[in-house]
Amino acid sequence: MTAQHTRTHAIDVSSVLQGQKKSSEPNEPCIKVENLNLFYAQKQALHDVSMEMSKKKVTAYIGPSGCGKSTLLRCINRMNDLVDNVTIEGKVLLDNENIYDKTVNVAALRRRVGMVFQKPNPFPKSIFENVTYGLRIQGINDKRILEETVENALRGAALWDEVKDRLNDNALGLSGGQQQRLVIARAIAIEPEVLLLDEPASALDPISTLKIEELINELKEKYTIVIVTHNMQQAARVSDYTAFMFMGELIEMGTTSELFTNPRKKQTEDYITGRYG
Amino acid sequence: MSEINIPINQPPSITISSGEYHQRWRLIKDALARYGVVAGGLGVIVAIVLIFFYLLYVVFPLFISANAESVSEYAVPEQALGRTLLLDIEEQNEVGSRFTDSGQVAFFEATTGKTILTQAVTIPEGAHITSFAQGSPINEGAVVYGLSNGRAIVVKHQYKVTYPNNVRVITPSLKYPLGEQPLVLDDSGAALEQVAVKVGEDSTTIVAKTADTPQGTGKIRLINFQKEQSLFADEAALTRTDSVLEQSASNIADILIDKDESNLYLISNDGQMGFFDISDKSSPTIRQQQNVVEAGQKITSVAFLNGDISLMIGDSTGLVSQWSMVKDKLNRPAMQKIRSFKVSDKAVVAINAEQRRKGFMTTDADGIVGIYHSTAERELIKERVSDALPSAAVLSPRANALLVESADGKMHFWHVDNEHPEVSVKSLWQQVWYESYPKPDYVWQSSSANNDFEPKYSLTPLVFGTLKAAFYAMLVAIPLALMGAIYTAYFMAPRMRMYVKPSIEIMGALPTVILGFLAGLWLAPFMEEHLTGLFATLMIVPIGVMLFAFTWQFVPKTITNNLSEGWDAAILIPVILLSGWFAFKVSVPLETFLFHGTLRDWFKAELGIGYDQRNSLVVGVAMGFAVIPTIFSIAEDAIFSVPKHLTVGSLALGATPWQTMIRVVLLTASPGIFSAIMIGFGRAVGETMIVLMATGNTPVMDLSVFQGMRTLAANIAVEMPESEVDSTHYRVLFLAALVLFMFTFVFNTLAEVIRQRLREKYSSL
Repeated sequence: MTAQHTRTHAIDVSSVLQGQKKSSEPNEPCIKVENLNLFYAQKQALHDVSMEMSKKKVTAYIGPSGCGKSTLLRCINRMNDLVDNVTIEGKVLLDNENIYDKTVNVAALRRRVGMVFQKPNPFPKSIFENVTYGLRIQGINDKRILEETVENALRGAALWDEVKDRLNDNALGLSGGQQQRLVIARAIAIEPEVLLLDEPASALDPISTLKIEELINELKEKYTIVIVTHNMQQAARVSDYTAFMFMGELIEMGTTSELFTNPRKKQTEDYITGRYG
Repeated sequence: MSEINIPINQPPSITISSGEYHQRWRLIKDALARYGVVAGGLGVIVAIVLIFFYLLYVVFPLFISANAESVSEYAVPEQALGRTLLLDIEEQNEVGSRFTDSGQVAFFEATTGKTILTQAVTIPEGAHITSFAQGSPINEGAVVYGLSNGRAIVVKHQYKVTYPNNVRVITPSLKYPLGEQPLVLDDSGAALEQVAVKVGEDSTTIVAKTADTPQGTGKIRLINFQKEQSLFADEAALTRTDSVLEQSASNIADILIDKDESNLYLISNDGQMGFFDISDKSSPTIRQQQNVVEAGQKITSVAFLNGDISLMIGDSTGLVSQWSMVKDKLNRPAMQKIRSFKVSDKAVVAINAEQRRKGFMTTDADGIVGIYHSTAERELIKERVSDALPSAAVLSPRANALLVESADGKMHFWHVDNEHPEVSVKSLWQQVWYESYPKPDYVWQSSSANNDFEPKYSLTPLVFGTLKAAFYAMLVAIPLALMGAIYTAYFMAPRMRMYVKPSIEIMGALPTVILGFLAGLWLAPFMEEHLTGLFATLMIVPIGVMLFAFTWQFVPKTITNNLSEGWDAAILIPVILLSGWFAFKVSVPLETFLFHGTLRDWFKAELGIGYDQRNSLVVGVAMGFAVIPTIFSIAEDAIFSVPKHLTVGSLALGATPWQTMIRVVLLTASPGIFSAIMIGFGRAVGETMIVLMATGNTPVMDLSVFQGMRTLAANIAVEMPESEVDSTHYRVLFLAALVLFMFTFVFNTLAEVIRQRLREKYSSL
């Protein structure tokens, strides 16, 4: 099987890429990962990962299950701190500031780095209260500010028109796709700098997935986005840069079009052509 | 690329027959399991329904009304012997007696009217009976005949029960306790127009009103015979004391002496009642003179209620009012009206008291007989017994039969079924003014030394005690259990949780009788001794913990880092122990300094709060200890099972762990926490052994934390062994059980409904 032969079977990345409006702004690094090693107890999950993510771009992490892409994502807002027996070495710089420094306030960091999980996780509260949660925990209770934020965030998450008449309904009554957009609205309501998306569409149906992808395209105007995905087509559709990870190591990273059309490493090529994963 | 071939279209290698067998066996097992579960569930429901109906079945007779039915009707026996002064019937309802105005006594069979015996009281030549009174129906009921020559004869009638050939034979006879010779009450020989007697064990008192004579107006004379048993002689010597009341004897209609022979009541025609203290027989003194009926009305009948404490006074408008001795403002006894019954529109011509309960029978001028219970304020029976006007009536000693003589010369013998007159909704739940109580009150006092005191069945103090005990227990248990649950489920290191949770749950397996035992015999005296220390602990321990937490942040990181996360709770244990010890040490000088003695005395003297050794504080702590494991375990499970993705989602939004706990975890776990509290409450309400041993079982209604209480459950445990089966007491205890059952049932149902609704709200998590 030659590479030429494989390519015809693999995703027709170029056709996907052509439909995309590419950001033409100069690349300005927002997040830098430097020599990051991570251990779960004795087991090493990340091996000396170093990379840069550009401001207001979408960076996608791809790779087979268990390759460490979600772990890497969680390092960016220190969600791994919640796991017992985790040891982290190396640095993650957000705006040139090491987030693993002793002086860093984790809660404040997480306010700057929002995160959306694989499974929609709205709180058992009203839609309104879900969106304002991030503000309320900061002590903002001004009704006018809250209402304004809710509308902006829900519009930003393309959910406003669907829920504007039932903001006081329980959020658990929404559909899965709506819940996921609500969670995104909740995350952007506190205006973070970075938005981490951990397989945001993997639990959703195709139409909801499409909506989320459209949303990502709009959100990158304002936020630096890092997305973990299993779905290579999705990575190709939404991201500007793609990082391929394998067995806890960063194998290759580059612009999405380059990585998908002309991978430098054999492992990358094998993965994107469907040899494993 | 497909190297693996799955043989979809090929038949499976196992044979079809074994597959069918397997399938069928699976179906059978499935059906068995289903029916087993259904049967179990239904069994539980049936058991609960049966318990409920059994309780109801025992309780029900309390509330059914009494009824009376005619047994027989016959001509008045020995009509020729004269007009009836008194009718009587003995305990077995077999023998009736008729005391006539000619001094004859006719004993007859109560059901048929067949004469058994007639006896004559020896009336001296030339004298005739001018007055008559019954002393008391109880104790071989003495009667007194007042004669026209100023003399009186006291006669007892008794019924001797023998069993020749195993057949009950009742033999009536007469007895003269003060001798067969008439006693001279008035030396001048004035006729005795009214007379009253009370024959006691060693003392007999006769009060008589003499007629006006040419020598002077009538007087009220009091004569007392004191029996003095000589040590050597068989014969007892009688000491006589005479005195005359300083009271106009005119228009005295009735004279009553109470059974202690210390109070005398004179009822006059114009509606006045005079109340005399005759404890000193040589100098009777008047205590009170009062109008007891509305102006213009007349007193038509009067009788003591059983126990001779209350007077039932019937008037010409058909109103019967109960007058009882109540201490007035100056602490002097005074008769006061405590309740009244509208019995009829006609005059009440006769009142007969029941002999063992506080019930009474009225007969009105229309011939209608009514049976009432005074404290329960119940009208039990209202029946027309005869068409003609009744001339005499009597209620049998067991209050299960009545005998009425009517003016048309007929005797009516009725059977009365009146088992539980003393219970009514009012007497169970509302304030009741009992005899000799200063005001209406809620009282539980189910047994007493004799029949004169009525049992007081107010369930209110018991329900109050139950709720009070549960309240204090929850006051102790809820904060400790919930905070413990929150800490254990959410903050504690998993390895420490592994030890802590089962340890607390084992606490729940501790038999409550041990907890009660410790609470009653160790904790209660300990608390009494170290009350200040206890309060000091409540203040000093939190301060100590705060101080420690404050200093902890200055401890070098090299030391704190050695402590793995979540184990901070362990290092607090010595801090709590130490500050607790310090609090107890410091409390002794503190108590002397602040309160000049003990804190208990200070409470008593300064705040007027009494201190019982077995009090709510002890129960709160002991029962709280019993309830904590229940609440802790359920609440901990609820908090621990809050989905991880919710807490992570909250933390990812920049919330601190504390904010996440308050705003997300507790909210999501609220159905579980709620049901934990309700189940804990249900347990506290039904708990028996601890409250039995640590409350003192005093049925008082006092919110004070230093007073005891009696709960429904403890009350049942205490009194059930001593209650007679099918008695009112027995049934009221079952009623208490039913109330307890309803209590827990309603609380649990309510809890379950609310929990289901909350769960529905959070179901799609």
